[in-house]
Amino acid sequence: MGRLGGVFRVTEGLQAEFGEQRVFDTPLAESGIVGTAIGLALAGWRPVCEIQFDGFSYPALDQVITNLAKYRGRTRGRASMPVTIRIPTGGGIGGPEHHGESPETYYAHTAGLKVVAPSGAAEAYRLLVASIRDPDPVIFLEPKSRYWTKESFDAEPGAEQLGRARIARPGEHATLIAWGAMAARCVQAAEAAAEDGVELEVIDCRTLVPLDLETIAGSVRRTGRAVVVHEAPLTAGFGAEISARLMETVFDDLKAPVLRVTGYDVPYPAAAVEKAYLPSLDRILTAVQQVLDHG
Amino acid sequence: MSSPTPEQERELYRLMALTRRLDQEAVALQRQGELTAFPPLTGQEAAQVGSAYALEAQDFAFPSYRELGVAIVRGIDPVEYLLAYRGDWNGGLYDPFAHGFGPIASSVGSHSLHAVGWAMGAALDGGGRAAIVYFGEGATSEGDVHEAMNFAGVFKAPIVFFVQNNQWAISVPLGRQTAGPIHRRAEGYGFPGLRIDGNDARGVYSTTAEALARARAGQGPTLIEALTYRVGAHSTADDPNRYRSPAEVDPWRAQDPMARLRQQLDDEAFCAGVEAENEARVAEIRARLVATPAPDPEEMFDFVYAEPPATLAAQREGLRQSLS
Amino acid sequence: MADYVFRLPDLAEGLEDAEIVEWRVKEGDRVELNQLLGEVQTSKAAVEMPSPRRGIVRKLHAAPGDLVKVGEPLVTFEVDDPGVVGRVPAEEAPPRRVHLRLKR
Repeated sequence: MGRLGGVFRVTEGLQAEFGEQRVFDTPLAESGIVGTAIGLALAGWRPVCEIQFDGFSYPALDQVITNLAKYRGRTRGRASMPVTIRIPTGGGIGGPEHHGESPETYYAHTAGLKVVAPSGAAEAYRLLVASIRDPDPVIFLEPKSRYWTKESFDAEPGAEQLGRARIARPGEHATLIAWGAMAARCVQAAEAAAEDGVELEVIDCRTLVPLDLETIAGSVRRTGRAVVVHEAPLTAGFGAEISARLMETVFDDLKAPVLRVTGYDVPYPAAAVEKAYLPSLDRILTAVQQVLDHG
Repeated sequence: MSSPTPEQERELYRLMALTRRLDQEAVALQRQGELTAFPPLTGQEAAQVGSAYALEAQDFAFPSYRELGVAIVRGIDPVEYLLAYRGDWNGGLYDPFAHGFGPIASSVGSHSLHAVGWAMGAALDGGGRAAIVYFGEGATSEGDVHEAMNFAGVFKAPIVFFVQNNQWAISVPLGRQTAGPIHRRAEGYGFPGLRIDGNDARGVYSTTAEALARARAGQGPTLIEALTYRVGAHSTADDPNRYRSPAEVDPWRAQDPMARLRQQLDDEAFCAGVEAENEARVAEIRARLVATPAPDPEEMFDFVYAEPPATLAAQREGLRQSLS
Repeated sequence: MADYVFRLPDLAEGLEDAEIVEWRVKEGDRVELNQLLGEVQTSKAAVEMPSPRRGIVRKLHAAPGDLVKVGEPLVTFEVDDPGVVGRVPAEEAPPRRVHLRLKR
């Protein structure tokens, strides 16, 4: 990500502007990238790491889980880990094996981390500023299928804090809950539903940890029906967590079970068939019809 | 190469003697139920104290889990160190930044990367500081140690990799751990590596001092392989008689680092005085440790995040209610 | 970013060349797939040219009135570079067959 500017050109121009001491390439070693970032944080720096692809973040899992997430605790609060790890995430670009993973559950399940999942360019900007400023370690999952979608927005970072969801589209008949690339897909689903006279509310979670349960539950309390959509596989996906929390908090307001539209419980498939794996508009609308029909 | 002065030699002996005495006391405390587990360092006093004594105040030492000797030299309160082995707090209770001595690292080898990162950060700040990282020959089999040395070589990080080759990784002997000489791996990473007599306190001190000076001056990493021997068990839960005979250990008892330095000092009055001092010090440490109250379970919610999120506060309240 | 050179295709069997009638875009414009670039005149008919790519028009290789031979550069685009792997996802609305109805 130095001279090349990154395989998705995300860091293009940064090294020229800020110099080789602050923007540099490392040897090909993901565990090494995260481990040395921990050390740099101990020395008082604020490192931003880039892992090239979601599927390559796994060699660094040990450093993330065993050390990054626990270092503040291990030192009883004396050491801060203001480390941000940017990971291009998710499918939809026809990539080879290991280039379409959605690993958010592994990170969300690790106490001590924050997990941020922007849905597009404007959100990525605001949330990345907030993530870098955060004193805790942040896993920043960039939806790579959204890298080329341009958006206009007010580039004023403001006092954005992690842990706030947004209502991407208001509606009354049911709530779609998503993050990352699927938030945009849910907005498309809502637009399609509107053609049929069904008004869907879309919640873009923005961060998974800390989760803005208040906004999510507030929406489901109003609509009474919820569908969670994520690319990651079904079993133990973060949709299960949201579903459980909704059951615990708004059970009496639910008119239907919380449904999930997700990737299947298979390894992320080959590019030729990935469209069949990722939640399609039809699969989302089918689930919406199920919750509309219930009871 | 700078040899220690006579006064420094006496100080080395004082620190090594305290380390040995306290190390023995910790094993006793475990047998008495005051500590849950403890990994003794018997036989490695020179390797730890000799190297740590060469550190300056602005340097940073990254220990693994057996470096009580390094902790003592750095001025850590032994009670705050040992309470980790009572199960009070993973990593120890001391402030790493107060004495430049990192938390106890139980994950074998993974802390080597943190040390390299710290060294890279120190270099970015303008140099003049060095890191030293401690691990055993067993850790050199872990991938993270390879990555750490590779990063250190590429970035010319100001770091000393101090490998205590005590020849046993629990029950795995050196020959089963690695087929080649550890110190020569450094050549592959582009920096000097040397093997030294880890039981010669003066030699350990001189070599480490020189390596640290190189690092502080911006000349990059050094790998020091200190050949020593783990005379005791891996930990208080281990019985080495199950995998090695006492006869194997005897030649190394004859190379005891304490006895060797004692002989070099040739001052029995001084050494006797040190022992008396240590009895008093260790008794005080024992008393304080035993008197420390058990930790509050609610502490497990402290220090997870800079600001605890709402969900965590709710869980803490749940624990409080279940305990009351 | 990468360059893509669009060459004049054979718009009718055995066509040899075509004359530029007019451009509907100018250099620097961002165009979508199938957006009309301009019109050319062949010996058979006036033909509208839809853009074969989504990207930025970097260079128009001929002016109105010029004759361009089949296979010669017509327009150079700067196209979105997918990077090391994969392809840039399509922007068009995804297909749907499921329609909803509210329960009454």
